[in-house]
Amino acid sequence: MTIARLKASLLVLPLIVFLGLFFIWPLWMMIATSVQGGTVRLAFPATAVAIAQWNGDGLPSPDVQAALIQDLRAEVVQEVFGDAVRSLNSQQAGFRTLLPRTMTALRNAGADATPKLERIDPRWSQPSFWLALKRGMPAYTDANLLAAVDLKRGDDGTIAHVAPDMAVNRAIMLRTFIIAAQVTLACAAIGLPFAMLAASLGGWKRNFLLLAVLLPLWTSLLVRTAAWMILLQDQGLINQILKALGLIDASLPLIYNRTGVLIAMTHVLLPFMVLPIYASLIAIPRNLMPAAAALGARPWQAFRHVLLPLAMPGLLSGSLLVFMVALGYYITPALTGGAGDQMISSVIAFYATGTANWGMAGALGLFLLVPTTLLYIVYGRLSRTPLGQA
Amino acid sequence: MPGSAAFIQFENVSKAFGTAKVVDALDLHVGQGEFVSLLGPSGSGKTTLLMMLAGFEAPTGGAIHVDGKRVERLPPYKRDMGVVFQNYALFPHMTVAENIAFPLKMRGVGKAEREARVTRALDLVQLGHLQDRKPAQLSGGQQQRIALSRSIVYEPKVVLMDEPLSALDKQLREHMQLEIRELHRKLGLTVIFVTHDQGEALTMSDRVAVLNRGKIEQLDTPSGLYDRPRTRFVAEFIGETNLLAGTVSARTDGVATVVLANGGSISCAAPDGFAIGSPALVSIRPEMLHLGNDPAVLNALPVTVEDDVYHGDHVRVHLSCQGQRLVAKAGRRDVVLPVGSQAFASFNRDDCTLVAP
Amino acid sequence: MSAASPNLPGTPGALAFGAVRLAFGALVVAFLLLPLVAILPLAFTDSVFLTYPMSGPSLRWFETLATSDAWKRSIVNSLIIGSGATVLSTVVGTLAALGLRRELVPFSGVLRSIFLLPMVVPAVVLGVGMQILYARMGLASSYLGVIVAHAVLCVPFVLVNVSGSLASIDPALEKAASSLGAPPTAVFRNVTLPLAMPGILTGAVFAFATSLDEVVITLFVAGPNQTTMARQMFASLRENISPAIAAAAFVIIVLTFALLLVVKGASLFRPQRNKQRPQQT
Repeated sequence: MTIARLKASLLVLPLIVFLGLFFIWPLWMMIATSVQGGTVRLAFPATAVAIAQWNGDGLPSPDVQAALIQDLRAEVVQEVFGDAVRSLNSQQAGFRTLLPRTMTALRNAGADATPKLERIDPRWSQPSFWLALKRGMPAYTDANLLAAVDLKRGDDGTIAHVAPDMAVNRAIMLRTFIIAAQVTLACAAIGLPFAMLAASLGGWKRNFLLLAVLLPLWTSLLVRTAAWMILLQDQGLINQILKALGLIDASLPLIYNRTGVLIAMTHVLLPFMVLPIYASLIAIPRNLMPAAAALGARPWQAFRHVLLPLAMPGLLSGSLLVFMVALGYYITPALTGGAGDQMISSVIAFYATGTANWGMAGALGLFLLVPTTLLYIVYGRLSRTPLGQA
Repeated sequence: MPGSAAFIQFENVSKAFGTAKVVDALDLHVGQGEFVSLLGPSGSGKTTLLMMLAGFEAPTGGAIHVDGKRVERLPPYKRDMGVVFQNYALFPHMTVAENIAFPLKMRGVGKAEREARVTRALDLVQLGHLQDRKPAQLSGGQQQRIALSRSIVYEPKVVLMDEPLSALDKQLREHMQLEIRELHRKLGLTVIFVTHDQGEALTMSDRVAVLNRGKIEQLDTPSGLYDRPRTRFVAEFIGETNLLAGTVSARTDGVATVVLANGGSISCAAPDGFAIGSPALVSIRPEMLHLGNDPAVLNALPVTVEDDVYHGDHVRVHLSCQGQRLVAKAGRRDVVLPVGSQAFASFNRDDCTLVAP
Repeated sequence: MSAASPNLPGTPGALAFGAVRLAFGALVVAFLLLPLVAILPLAFTDSVFLTYPMSGPSLRWFETLATSDAWKRSIVNSLIIGSGATVLSTVVGTLAALGLRRELVPFSGVLRSIFLLPMVVPAVVLGVGMQILYARMGLASSYLGVIVAHAVLCVPFVLVNVSGSLASIDPALEKAASSLGAPPTAVFRNVTLPLAMPGILTGAVFAFATSLDEVVITLFVAGPNQTTMARQMFASLRENISPAIAAAAFVIIVLTFALLLVVKGASLFRPQRNKQRPQQT
């Protein structure tokens, strides 16, 4: 028995290592990056290590000065340096001139020289600048996490709201939840009756309805989104048909707005709703609905008291699945939505690929990862059919 | 037939699925308070008949009256009938009490009254202590009783049962047969009971309708069916019988003489019909055959004993009579003749009957 | 079983109810299938616009795919990355499914849930993490990096399908093989593996299709040299919509369904047994 266990464990080990390295670790690094002390640390990595040893009394040791000189001489990304300077200057006025001047002096002095920082600028002999530097690069910071929800720490360390014109993240998070909820509702409204229809039919009719659900599921998400772009555009098939039927004169704006996002996402996620509901319906014994009718229940009463409660587990796990997946959607809103329809994922992508601000990307990612994972745990508890069984 | 005549009437009722006629121009009258079983092989139309009465199938022709009203276009929930389904159809998400309260709730019965009636219905089947359980926590017999009490709690006009005992083991089934009979007597229920188990039909019913290919072959009391089957199908379907082919050679009122195809003649009780010269089958139940050595008694057939098979309470004796196989049941105290011996199998005139071939 | 008609067959109520059901079913089926049906013919348009009524037929957009540098390269990249990700995920996924089969490993249930997580974790979140990790590991903008990233997303599909086919193997068959004298490795080779093969192949096809369709992670970890077909489609959908997209979609659909058909074909179109019709005796 023990040998069997050992063999089984050895078989599972490669996947554990693989996902540990390339799934858990990246997620961990993203979280770590989001709470590691901001851009100042990024711009002055050696100083960050050295200054951590200094207790803040008087002036720091020569090691710290040497580290700062080393950091200032090193090549650094201009934006990162600029961000760091701005951040330090907000703590201690004067850094805006101090740092560039020191950097220029150091570079002009040549690589071998060991100048004294106080000689370059007397401000380096004031402990307040060193203290600001130390405080400016804590090991851990909640700045990104706070910024992700439009909060910041004021100079006195209290948490405050950012200026209203900068506060966009909460609105986008709210929008993300609203879109996911709308899509979930739409999927439930279509999926429940459709699953009921499929379950009530037999033979080829049932198989046909199920195939109609499975075919999109097996088709590339990108292809389906592209197809909706083609169908929904101003000259698209839908507008053409509506015009031909005389229902509209001018093209309806169906794409690059919320309508387009909802239509395309509902289409993409509908199978995840239909399949679990269908599975729970098909498990209902055949004679329950006739029994309810024989006992005097009108059709809607039989639906309300018998069918719906028994379909509820499927409806719930379908809704959870759709909501959970919809929260993280990026491609479909990016292609079918307008600027006002982008979800949290697109903001994360913007920070990560657009500005290389991994701290912010990570913090926002955490706000997406946590609810998704929680929903997945609930889903796992609730549903006996594992994910992706289609 | 207790109560007023024809509480339930099927008049010329037909049902076809596509080209297949499942019920064929059928008439059936059931009196109030009567217990009638529909007995037949699978595909004989008995369940369809029940489903038409319950409202799950519409007849393609004819009329169904219950209590003087035409019902065949009424949906099930307006018919006020109790139905006990095969496998019970208890709602798995409701407790026992909620299951039984369901039909009352559908009828808008108030909560207090509902509870009182549920308690009474549960006491009737002696399961009051289980009212908060879910159906899955009950044994088969308990589920059966809950289904039964759910179907009578609202005092429906008729209780329809669709092979309700088929999922139970033999002992429990026999116990439940008695229990259902007792409920029927105690509450004066009108019951239509579908089964394919003839023993069940015979023990429980006031009358049994034997169905074959969508038609009623015979509607009779259990003893009438067993002792005086009218058709070959009924004679063979109910119990076991020996059939001897012959031609009616003489007849008086109630008695006919039949010349057998393989020689010999028999005197036999005969219903109306069967004129002289018409072909007929003589049906003799195995337990009515007596084995002896006296060729002089009435209706003595010369036989050879082929085999004796011990069955505990009786011995089945396989006989051959001029090439035809016969079966006799011998009691434990009867003399058992050894295999290979020659004998005469005889029977009384009133212990056999003529059926149409 | 669910709501059969609340009305008796043949009554006006039943007819109306049936008509509503039919209309609803037809509408939803149209909603589900219309996009798939609508995009395919446009691959053969002669025009530069992705609109109906289409002109053509013409193969010019397939020519574009085959001749334009960007498209050609992206197709090759997709095949390289897809194959790599499929092999990698199928190997580790199948091994893990075999290991988890008898629940002998401690915390089997938890492990299984974690192995399925890549299906649930938002792609953008994983993409950010991968980008940070790859920057440190030096895997950014490399084929290996993209293959590994795709394989992470493919693993759940392999695991689910292989586990499914393993679960459906009657244990009596393996016991029978041992009783007939087969040592464990022979049982595995001659009984378990052949019976699990349909699941392994289906998993591999889903893995390949997943890689083929992957955009988000690719955006984060791939360099210009690893642009895949999906990435190329995404870019042109954003920038200049041309019928080359429909042609690419055609290729993806045909490729996916051809593979699926090869693997699943036999079972997909076999008449279904055990599907009972509504009771009517």
